[in-house]
Amino acid sequence: MMSIYRIPVGPQHPAIKEGFQWNFKLDGEVIVDVTPRLGFVHRGIEKGMELRSWVQGIYLAERICGICNTPHTTCYCLAVEQLYDVEVPKRAQYLRIIINELNRIHSHLLWIGVLGMEIGFMTYFMYVWRDRERVMDIVELITGNRVTMSMNMIGGVVYDITPPMEGIIRRGLDYLEERTKYYKEVLLNEPTIRARTENVGVLSKSDAIDLCAVGPTLRGSDVKSDARFDEPYSSYDEISFNLVTYPYCDVYARALVRADETLESIQIIRECLDKMPSGPIKVRLKRTPPPGEAVARVEAPRGELLHYVKSDGKEKPYRVKMRTPTLANIPATCEMLKGYYIADIPAIIASIDPCYCCTERMLFIDINSGKSWVWTDSELRRYSLKYYRERRK
Amino acid sequence: MMNVLYYLFRVLIYPGFLFISALAFVFEWIDRKAHAHFQNRIGPLYAGPHGFLQPLADFIKLMAKEDFTPTWANPVFFNITPVLAATLPVFASFYIPFTGMPVLPPFEGDLVLVLTLTTFFTITAFLAGWFSSNRFSSVGAIRVVLQFLGYEIPMFISLGSAAIAAGSLSITKIANSQVIPFAILQPLGFAIYIIALQAELEKIPFDIPEAESEIVAGWLTEFAGRKLAFFRLSEDLRLVLGAGLATAVFLGGGSGAIFPPIVWFLIKMVIVVLIATSLRTVFARLKIDQVVRGAWKYLLPLALLQLLITKILLVVM
Repeated sequence: MMSIYRIPVGPQHPAIKEGFQWNFKLDGEVIVDVTPRLGFVHRGIEKGMELRSWVQGIYLAERICGICNTPHTTCYCLAVEQLYDVEVPKRAQYLRIIINELNRIHSHLLWIGVLGMEIGFMTYFMYVWRDRERVMDIVELITGNRVTMSMNMIGGVVYDITPPMEGIIRRGLDYLEERTKYYKEVLLNEPTIRARTENVGVLSKSDAIDLCAVGPTLRGSDVKSDARFDEPYSSYDEISFNLVTYPYCDVYARALVRADETLESIQIIRECLDKMPSGPIKVRLKRTPPPGEAVARVEAPRGELLHYVKSDGKEKPYRVKMRTPTLANIPATCEMLKGYYIADIPAIIASIDPCYCCTERMLFIDINSGKSWVWTDSELRRYSLKYYRERRK
Repeated sequence: MMNVLYYLFRVLIYPGFLFISALAFVFEWIDRKAHAHFQNRIGPLYAGPHGFLQPLADFIKLMAKEDFTPTWANPVFFNITPVLAATLPVFASFYIPFTGMPVLPPFEGDLVLVLTLTTFFTITAFLAGWFSSNRFSSVGAIRVVLQFLGYEIPMFISLGSAAIAAGSLSITKIANSQVIPFAILQPLGFAIYIIALQAELEKIPFDIPEAESEIVAGWLTEFAGRKLAFFRLSEDLRLVLGAGLATAVFLGGGSGAIFPPIVWFLIKMVIVVLIATSLRTVFARLKIDQVVRGAWKYLLPLALLQLLITKILLVVM
């Protein structure tokens, strides 16, 4: 009979659209163990940030992830604005909420379609993605771009929403709300979807907290955590909305969380359009921020996003560091996968909405002892000097 | 001499090999086009009117590609299985009475022969996957057999109850014996056959052996070029065989008013194909354990129930 064998899922596999590898140890069809392997698409963005000016950093931050590009720029701009110690105008804050929520709708609808594809329900995928076009149209109306929105700048936003646009946006939102409600209905009632997602990839509440899961993955395990609530940025505290959690802890719960969050986002945008004050949308700032360091947290569609910036008063950042939600969710995913079947692999991996290219990171692991650690900036610098000194000999 | 030529014509051209192959491509086009429209897409469009020739174009393109045998694959099985896969359904189709009479002379028990040939196909798929020496292929090959354990017996029983009602094991006789189609008299058996057919053709929700997002292409993973072309043709040929069998056994074959039998037979086959297409549109893929459990828990008892009802009705009447 078959003993334990290994299957590599990725870097080229239909379930994984980016370069990433999950090494599965299988017993028949049951997953015994899984090892993630990063590093296929490392682009050195953090280093790239240090080589560019503060403004150019926005455009690089935007390209960390194609789908959640706005949260990245928002987070970067919020951090840099903290260095300047300025608050952007109220209207700009509301515009930031709107564009971030539009991004969330687009990302969540995309994910709901992808879930359908991963469990072999292509019709669901086709329909959801057809309706997702509507939110892309709205984004294009506001910013002129469909995906990479280029909305944020340090000190405000670039584009304003004019009154004629507002009507088009509202009509688009009505359509999206109706369709999202329908897709949630399908999620709730379609037996084959439920058969494939219920009690699959269970991540208990305590595990979710211990393994530092973030975003819908965490909220699907009944943990109330959302950067928009916990540490409101950009006037999120003035908007009333619900924090969606589901207690089922499985892929199904994560799907429902995303469906409900899409509906919440639509509500948030409507409220923002109602409440939006008039006024300027940006403030002029000096070319370089004063020395200092700052951290900003933003709730991206995939979970909590963190940017750290450090300035030494020069034209370029001294250090920029991001922690992306997928990276935070990978340990939890390994835990979710164990004990399930090969057939569950795509659904479970997709359930964290992985974005591998923003995940690529450097981590120190001693292969002999299995110990891993993270170095501070100065420690890393000291090590690199030592390393090259030894090489030169 | 004329007699030999006549038989050669029947076997090779109409309603034999060429006709069945052409039908396979047409059915693939119907399936793809209908599937696309159900999903709010356009589907094949460029090759021929409304993309009618797209399946043929795909076949020719694949045939032109490099023929390749992986180093670690067993060359004998790797090369012989695509040919077997394409020829077995054609041979089995020779017993389907497309024009009222099958290509080869019907005999008492050709239903059993056809079912045996479909079973051989499953074994062919298993061998193809197993001897590819690829981890995804092996998993796919095992799934082929596991799924087969689930759907085969209910399928045979559902066809068996039709055979009992007709009092014959010859497909042609079963087709001709129906005044009212068995699909109406034995709706349960027909439904079970359609579900089992979906599983046999490896279509959603039973496309588990080649589940793309899980195991790449399952037992087909290592096949490319000419061999893949044959496997794809085989899939279409099995659709023709399955739809033909459904038409002959459950829908009364070519019987119908005004038109000759071939027209009625084709219309009924297209209906079966469209049922299969809509089934694969509205479901998500199931898991292998769910399929086998479902088949033994629901399909088999229901098939036996159909058999019992048929027998009781026959005795009473």
